[in-house]
Amino acid sequence: MATREARSAAVRQAFPDENLVRELPGGDQQTFVVDRKVLWDFAKHLKEHPDLNFDLLLDICGVDWWGKREPRFDAVYHLYSLRHGHRLRIKVPVAEEDPVVPSVYGLWKAADWFEREAYDMFGIRFSGHPNLRRILTHDSFQGHPLRKDYDPGQRWLLREEEQYVPQWAKIPQEDEDHFETQVLNLGPAHPATHGTLRTVVRLDGEVITEAETEIGYLHRCFEKMSERHTWNQVIPYTDRLNYCSSMINGVGYALTVENMLGIEAPPRAQVVRVILSELSRIMDHIVDIGANLTDLGAMTPFLYLYQAREEIYSLLEACSGGRLTVSYVRIGGLAEDVPPDFADAVRYLLRRIPPLVDDMERLITENRIFRERTEGIGKISAEEAINWGWTGPCLRACGVAYDVRKAHPYLGYDGYDFKVPIAHTGDTYARYLVRVEEMRQSLRIVEQALANLPDGPIIVENHHVALPPKARVYTEMESLIYHFKLIMEGMKVPAGEYYGYVEGANGELGFYAISDGGGKPYRLKVRPPCFAIFQAYPHMLKGHLVADSVAILGSLNIIAGELDR
Amino acid sequence: MKDDVIVCNPRPLRFWQRFYLVEVLKGLGVTLRHFLGNLFSRKYTVTVEWPEVKREYSERLRGRHVILTREDGSPRCVACYMCETACPADCIHIEADEDPNAPVEWEKQPKVFTIDLLRCVFCGFCVDACPKEAIIMTRTHEMAFRTREEAVIGLDQLLYRGPLSELDMGYRPYYGEPKTRIKLPIPTRPEP
Amino acid sequence: MRTPDGSSAFLTTKLEKLLDKARANSLWPYPFGTACCGIEFMSVMMGHYDLSRFGAEVVRFSPRQSDLLIVAGTITDKLAPVLVRIYEQMAEPKYVISMGACACTGGFYRAYHVVQGIDEFIPVDVYVPGCPPTPEALFAGVLKLQEMIERGETHYQRMVAAQRAAAGA
Repeated sequence: MATREARSAAVRQAFPDENLVRELPGGDQQTFVVDRKVLWDFAKHLKEHPDLNFDLLLDICGVDWWGKREPRFDAVYHLYSLRHGHRLRIKVPVAEEDPVVPSVYGLWKAADWFEREAYDMFGIRFSGHPNLRRILTHDSFQGHPLRKDYDPGQRWLLREEEQYVPQWAKIPQEDEDHFETQVLNLGPAHPATHGTLRTVVRLDGEVITEAETEIGYLHRCFEKMSERHTWNQVIPYTDRLNYCSSMINGVGYALTVENMLGIEAPPRAQVVRVILSELSRIMDHIVDIGANLTDLGAMTPFLYLYQAREEIYSLLEACSGGRLTVSYVRIGGLAEDVPPDFADAVRYLLRRIPPLVDDMERLITENRIFRERTEGIGKISAEEAINWGWTGPCLRACGVAYDVRKAHPYLGYDGYDFKVPIAHTGDTYARYLVRVEEMRQSLRIVEQALANLPDGPIIVENHHVALPPKARVYTEMESLIYHFKLIMEGMKVPAGEYYGYVEGANGELGFYAISDGGGKPYRLKVRPPCFAIFQAYPHMLKGHLVADSVAILGSLNIIAGELDR
Repeated sequence: MKDDVIVCNPRPLRFWQRFYLVEVLKGLGVTLRHFLGNLFSRKYTVTVEWPEVKREYSERLRGRHVILTREDGSPRCVACYMCETACPADCIHIEADEDPNAPVEWEKQPKVFTIDLLRCVFCGFCVDACPKEAIIMTRTHEMAFRTREEAVIGLDQLLYRGPLSELDMGYRPYYGEPKTRIKLPIPTRPEP
Repeated sequence: MRTPDGSSAFLTTKLEKLLDKARANSLWPYPFGTACCGIEFMSVMMGHYDLSRFGAEVVRFSPRQSDLLIVAGTITDKLAPVLVRIYEQMAEPKYVISMGACACTGGFYRAYHVVQGIDEFIPVDVYVPGCPPTPEALFAGVLKLQEMIERGETHYQRMVAAQRAAAGA
């Protein structure tokens, strides 16, 4: 692994001019401020230089420094190198009058939707992007909502006839050999799209020849809302990102803010977080596999697996008070201690889940119908998947063993003995196999974590961060003042930026947080794993049958709450 | 790194698996086992026969709020606006009033205290924020309303004057040993 | 069949009562599940709760075949025209349950892209609070709706009654 200095040298050698490429000192990860004139060459150098080799584009987002700095915007890129395991951030300052940045779509296809999102939210235009139009908001929307001068309550109504129709779908195809093409809308209200995804396809007979996906039907303005709430108040919002495994989002967010504050949750809280995260991961895979099978016509396994899910709900509810949206994590620890028979309940789940998974496997894994419907369907090569910015089980099904828990352990994951499941075929069946194995590996982690569940406090004693215990708030003046200040003003997070990441159920879940030292996040960008995965979907569809589109969609595990935020 | 990886590539189908009929029978075996288990020994039956039998939620369930009262029946709330500030949904509305016969400890009381239950996301932050243990949550969660106005509940519906032991308390400030038990499989209780 | 003074005849009234009772106990839900509440709706349909015990077993994903629209999840401005279209396509008589804070009022998303309550666009019969509501809460909503249908108090039934009264007068 090349050091930070070696990377700086490799960059400096090619871009000696300090005015064009400047490295920022310190920071949570290596950061370069790049002039937009050289962005393309710089990005190309980063991708192709053997010591740098940044092959995975994780995230592109905008930041608005309205009234604080000129030029007004930043376009921020987060890169990762799978080979070396190092990270890098690029910042491109953009002026309000001329908000144009060259697109990096030609280098990383992952830039496709991320650039569209930055355009939609901030009005930063990416020259050379093939299809730069709004993505999360609708076509009748005016203005760019994440700009600081946009009123968060300002809504724009969409009329039915104004809904987006792709240009190609309006033109009838009249080639001689195509006599039966038709344009079909899959979604948003299609049983397999689970409510909020829409894919417009052109069919030649039953074969999809062209496809375009429209998202944003569940854009709930998470990022704007988080700028208007204190750091602690964002926690209920994070629960509703990937609502199938809400605990993991909370953990990822809390870790990010804890790192900014320079604190660490007590050991007991960390182990409980691991246990509940892994159970949430199992829950998420249950919904994904179950819904995928239901869409393919196999209802029974979902019924069996859901029993396990319902029992995990019971555990989460006993710990936190909520079944699905737990709000259990607090910055610095957990809301309260687990109930006294927590360990017994987890042990019960460890006994209960494997037979249900076995039953599901007996019905499905070697089932000829299922295999014929999924093998070779939605196949994607490892290079393509990396190019699209995939992470998580979908990437591992292509043979790339990238798992944040192994590559960059957090919460003491390096102390647990578990394996990263991979497969090499990269099709829908491989994704199913990887998820099933991940459920078993998660159970192993839970088992080990439970064996070493330490005693001790559940949240840090630092009352600038965590609420003091209630018993003291009622009786002591000092605690009451801390309590009052935390509720009324929120905790003060030191000014700066941080990119925190955990292994979500779908892949690398990143939180890019910027603080201006106040009680509220200045900017909070989520790097949702499904967003990168789903942008490859219309491209994977071409040449498949309509029925296969359902199988592929289910196997990608698109959670709209996380996709659209 | 290599040892950390487990390869789960698809295995080729064996001869009898191709045959299909064997697999069908095996699959039927699994479903039949569940079916018979349900039918005779109630081994796999998980259905909670609501409303005759109810699933018992833990004592941390975040349900409908109540405002506790002091011994003299006045609300414990001192209209400090902490819960209103802590609420991410802004569903709490308080208007303060001077308390005419207040001792030194407090001088205000709520004139208006409403919670819009349809806005509320039941995150429990108001309970965490309250410095007087006035607002707590109960385990009442089976609610349905016909109009939006009906769901905005005021002091008259929020105040609880009975003894605490009879209140079906849910999420509330926690100190000391927790009382809840998880009791898996999912605990149920028949309707009294 | 009408009596000379314009009120419905005894027989038809009784028949309608019977029909309402039948309708109340054989609801065909269309789950418009978009977000977290959609996941809780799955729980409602699964083994532990099982909505079919209340005569609403047949979940249809075609609005033409269903009479109960359960809006489970956030509706955004982008999705609102779709929701309205689905409501219009549903078979009559039709009823709407709004499940969860987002569908009822927008919840804690007081934001630029979220509909602040689906009653901006379609009439709602029952609001179920919760974020997401527990399955029991949705059951309570369904039972409440059944009660309302039997009494003829839903938006649709009142609209029909008003039209009849206008035609009779």
